[in-house]
Amino acid sequence: MEFEFRRRDYGATIDSQLLPRSQAHKHPLSSTLVSRQQQAKTVRGSEIDFFDPLRGLDVNASAEEEVEDTSISTEAATQDLIKEWKLLKRILMQRFPISFFLWVITGHKARKIISLTSVEAPSVLSHSEETGSEQISLEETAKIMNQQEYMAKVHELRDGITCAWQAEDRVTSLKLSIKVTKLLMDTTVLQFYPTVFVIVTDMLDMLGDMVWERIKQKAELDIDGTVICSLLMISVLKQERLAITGFAKLPLSIIIFIILPTFLCLSFGLSLYAHSYLELAILPCWRFLINQPMEVLDRLLMMVRGLADPLASLYCRLYMVHRMQKFGFCNSGYLIKCIKDIEDVLAPILVDKEGYSYITDDKKLFFSLIEPAIEYIMKCLFLTGRQEKNVLGMLEELGFGRKKLHSSYNPSHMSILLHYLLKELPSELVSSLAMEILDMIKCSNDCSFSQVLNYKLLGTRLSEGKSQDGFLSSLINEVIQAASQYQSLYDYLRIIDAYVDLTLQNKMENHLDALLDDIVRLSCDKFLTEEEQASLQSIILKLLSHFENLQEVLSLNHFIEILDLMSGTSKSSVNMHLLNMGTRNGCISDSTTVQLLFEVSQALYDATDFVTIKDDDNRQTSHLISRFVEMVDYGAEMERHLMFLAECREAFNGIHELKETLVRSSNTLAVKALKAGKKHINFVKSCLAFSEVTIPSVSTPTKHLNLYLETAEVALLGGLISHSDGLVMSAVEYLENVAGTDGLRSIDVDSMASVVCKLCSLLVMVPGNPEKDVMEILQSIFSATCSSSWAMQRLKVKLFCAIISLSSTLSQDNLPYHCANPEIIGNDLLFFGDSSYKQELVSFTQLVLGELLNAIEKESSQIVRGNLALEACNCISSALVMNEKVSQVCLRLLETAKGCLGANDRYMESTKKYLQL
Amino acid sequence: MATATTVNIKLSRSNRIYRSSEPVEGKIVITSATSISHQAIRLSVNGSVNLQVRGGSAGVIESFYGVIKPIQIVKKTIEVRSSGKIASGTTEIPFSFNLREPGESIVEKFYETFHGTNINIQYLLTAEIPRGYLHKPLSATVEFIIESGRVDLPERPIPPELVIFYITQDTQRHPLLPEIKTGGFRVTGKLATQCSLQDPLSGELTVEASSVPISSIDIHLLRVESIIVGERIVTETSLIQSTQIADGDVCRNMTLPIYVLLPRLLMCPSVFAGPFSVEFKVCLTISFKSKLAKAQPKSDPTAPRLWMALERLPLELVRTKRDQFSC
Repeated sequence: MEFEFRRRDYGATIDSQLLPRSQAHKHPLSSTLVSRQQQAKTVRGSEIDFFDPLRGLDVNASAEEEVEDTSISTEAATQDLIKEWKLLKRILMQRFPISFFLWVITGHKARKIISLTSVEAPSVLSHSEETGSEQISLEETAKIMNQQEYMAKVHELRDGITCAWQAEDRVTSLKLSIKVTKLLMDTTVLQFYPTVFVIVTDMLDMLGDMVWERIKQKAELDIDGTVICSLLMISVLKQERLAITGFAKLPLSIIIFIILPTFLCLSFGLSLYAHSYLELAILPCWRFLINQPMEVLDRLLMMVRGLADPLASLYCRLYMVHRMQKFGFCNSGYLIKCIKDIEDVLAPILVDKEGYSYITDDKKLFFSLIEPAIEYIMKCLFLTGRQEKNVLGMLEELGFGRKKLHSSYNPSHMSILLHYLLKELPSELVSSLAMEILDMIKCSNDCSFSQVLNYKLLGTRLSEGKSQDGFLSSLINEVIQAASQYQSLYDYLRIIDAYVDLTLQNKMENHLDALLDDIVRLSCDKFLTEEEQASLQSIILKLLSHFENLQEVLSLNHFIEILDLMSGTSKSSVNMHLLNMGTRNGCISDSTTVQLLFEVSQALYDATDFVTIKDDDNRQTSHLISRFVEMVDYGAEMERHLMFLAECREAFNGIHELKETLVRSSNTLAVKALKAGKKHINFVKSCLAFSEVTIPSVSTPTKHLNLYLETAEVALLGGLISHSDGLVMSAVEYLENVAGTDGLRSIDVDSMASVVCKLCSLLVMVPGNPEKDVMEILQSIFSATCSSSWAMQRLKVKLFCAIISLSSTLSQDNLPYHCANPEIIGNDLLFFGDSSYKQELVSFTQLVLGELLNAIEKESSQIVRGNLALEACNCISSALVMNEKVSQVCLRLLETAKGCLGANDRYMESTKKYLQL
Repeated sequence: MATATTVNIKLSRSNRIYRSSEPVEGKIVITSATSISHQAIRLSVNGSVNLQVRGGSAGVIESFYGVIKPIQIVKKTIEVRSSGKIASGTTEIPFSFNLREPGESIVEKFYETFHGTNINIQYLLTAEIPRGYLHKPLSATVEFIIESGRVDLPERPIPPELVIFYITQDTQRHPLLPEIKTGGFRVTGKLATQCSLQDPLSGELTVEASSVPISSIDIHLLRVESIIVGERIVTETSLIQSTQIADGDVCRNMTLPIYVLLPRLLMCPSVFAGPFSVEFKVCLTISFKSKLAKAQPKSDPTAPRLWMALERLPLELVRTKRDQFSC
């Protein structure tokens, strides 16, 4: 018995199964988009509501913060500073690493270090003796000591201190500590100093803690070990020391009054270094005597002045600040005095005897070494100032706000100090003091720190906080003037970089123009160095991110000229941003913009190696270029558009992603031409030709096939049957080739299936060629599927089902859909009443069915096999009339499914129901 | 005897400082494995000024003498316990005595304890336990420190008597290096020349100008001990301690503090007694950077040198009332 296709009335099916439709007022997607855009606009309009988590808090929040700030407890602040200190130590060690030891430890230093570790405790040398012995050893030949050895010595020394202390031999441990401090006297190799400082101060801290603990313990415990009074008591007692007569009898008083001075006495008669550091180490012990040892602090502050070596004295001050803050003695008055002293110490270094101030390598090194110390001291200053709620008063002491009162007063600060001051200044004060700071920066042009960086920092700090535009304009004006005086593009760019944002935010176009003019003027005919490129890049990116629209950027003075200055990676980066910006606001129709972006893309493409390297960056570039090509729209000038596409194909040959875009664009163009009217048919042909030649270079098989189908659809729409036939044939051939090459194991089975199904559904519309074999295409697909080694059984089953469905559809008297072009006649009309055509379809179906059953049998996985059997069963029953032969096949398939899935599978039950078996 | 018998004197004050008007209290601690019989336990106090003349400033004949007869301040013996027996183990015998009995007239004033080069003022407390002829007598000696206990001591603070000094190339009485002489320098400052023993020596110093870089500025404490030997006065000046106040070429016009804690045992209030006197001086030295200084072997840092500027100032040390609280 022969197969017979089931008759279908598609129209009736559609009518019966169509869901009732009702008109919606809004498009579900567009509506949200609009409202979001509106939202975005309002946000940009009123910047007060704008909350950027990375930026500083706005006015209200900062007020709250201030309230919180004032409530910072001393302890929390101290904790902060302890953390800072640890950080500082790490910075010092890292920035000036210990590997310097390798060449530093030579000659007399090595000898000195070795002599330091000898445990025999010699009588305390007076400093004059030391210098004498150093003198002798200077003549020693160089001796190399590596860093392990040195560290071992240092650790030995530290252990020596601890051991001696624990063994109650406090004098020895003190003597060892004195030796340790002597390490700090040596500033012959500057780079070495921070590391030594960290090592030594660690030891001194340790010693200070031990002394503190010891006195505390002595004070709290009687000789028998019973607690006589707690530390709290002591603090009460010491205030009324003179009033309580009985107090004299407490053993604690003896300890306090004897141990401390003895300790101090021991350290006297020593070099000032040992003296200062030791006294700082045991500074907290003054707490046992007085609550706020003002006199002591004053004296120490002055004592450190005796250290003439600038580096040593600065680090000594650093240690002093550290010890003060650690025990809550910190007070902004001392810190300000300290900073003023530092200024006095540094002043002679800046200016030579002749009165010139020029930078040498030594000076540069020196200033780089003191930077961390100054930063730490400034941090402490502002933290203390905030704690005391007296930041303004503090600033006044430092010379702010006095200018108005005394016109003769010169508020200049050393630029290095100014830098760190500005860095730590609370942002709300930065804007109120901006003009004054600017004046200071102008005045402070010394070699301690780059003035350029100070200008830059001011800009950065200003953009951090909320700034009033009142003074900004004149400020920026002055800055630009000052910057242009540098005559060096790099300096100019570095300064201006910090102010671009401010200029843009406050809409100061004239400044922006002046600034761009200056850049062009300074860079005339020059090849930019890498640093200059980086700065320029940052400026351009700021411009780009500020403006909404590419047109606005391009209309800026000299923008293109400035763009041309760039090269290398910074250029690529700028180009990416340009492209991104150009493509984000819809179609690009302006030809100059297109030309610019094309050039930009070309530059980007040339800068990237698309052939060999495939990474994310390339992907982004190729994505951007494709996006740009996609967004170009010449409107009515379609020929030009096509030419543009051809140009792109040539220019960006290496980008695979772009090929797809090109084909799509060309197809879109063709459809647009078709819509415009019949007269463009030749243009449509050229579009199709363009697509046809472009497709083969697309590498991904599914994309490749899809593009063929898409183009074929367009050809069909245009009524170009031979074209569409050709394209379909190409697709089928490609399918066969995929099978042939077999090199593409990575083909996604499901997407492949969907492409072939799509091909089948396209074939419904494509009229068969009566002159050729009508079944040619179908047979080709079938044979390609059968022979394919890449197609898994699952895929084969799907494809066979599709082919069966297609055959069934083609045999209908009335096809479910037709081509939109009325000139194209469907197969239903073409072969109306042609029995041989139907016969061919039936026999073909028989053939396919046989293969289908085979394929199911071959499937290895049971569950998949069962499901496939049911799927095939459904397909067959909907395609063919259920006669005896068909029902036999179906029963067989159901058996298979039952064997694989079990009798109770729901899919099987519903299939059975459908089949009414 | 397996373990030795030991005798210790433990004073009531751990710092061992007493005033002459106060009773000296404490206990004699005897540790013994066996019981001991003794004839008596005696405690003797001996305070004296020992004078000695050594070479140097002294003449040849005086140096032959060596020790001059000490001046007795106090010498007395008390019997703490009459003859008897001490049980084995640790025995503590408390004692208390007055240095100066109310009605007693003393030959000499109670000078404060002082240990110098030529002059030693020392107070010793000795416990003796004679045990007959067969046994060695047991004894222990401990020094205690006498601080002036006069009632007419000045109240604190004593008015700071600041002396303003200035040091230039012209104030120097010894030859200087030509570059220092011609280049010139000027260091000014002030210093308290009357100072309580308990307080630090304080003042300040400013380098106003110096053409030659400075290498160090130091403060030296000197004591001047004078003894009358026959018709002559033998004076010995010795260094007590040095304190560096500047290391290297310090900034000009920056005030540096002078702050020196006085070593307790090496100093005492300035004394002008008949046969001897103890005075103190402060010597400020400014050393300039010079190759000569490096070549020179180290010696007395207060000696005048070509590369050094000196300034000596007298220092009067006094005991104030506040000090009485110090123990």
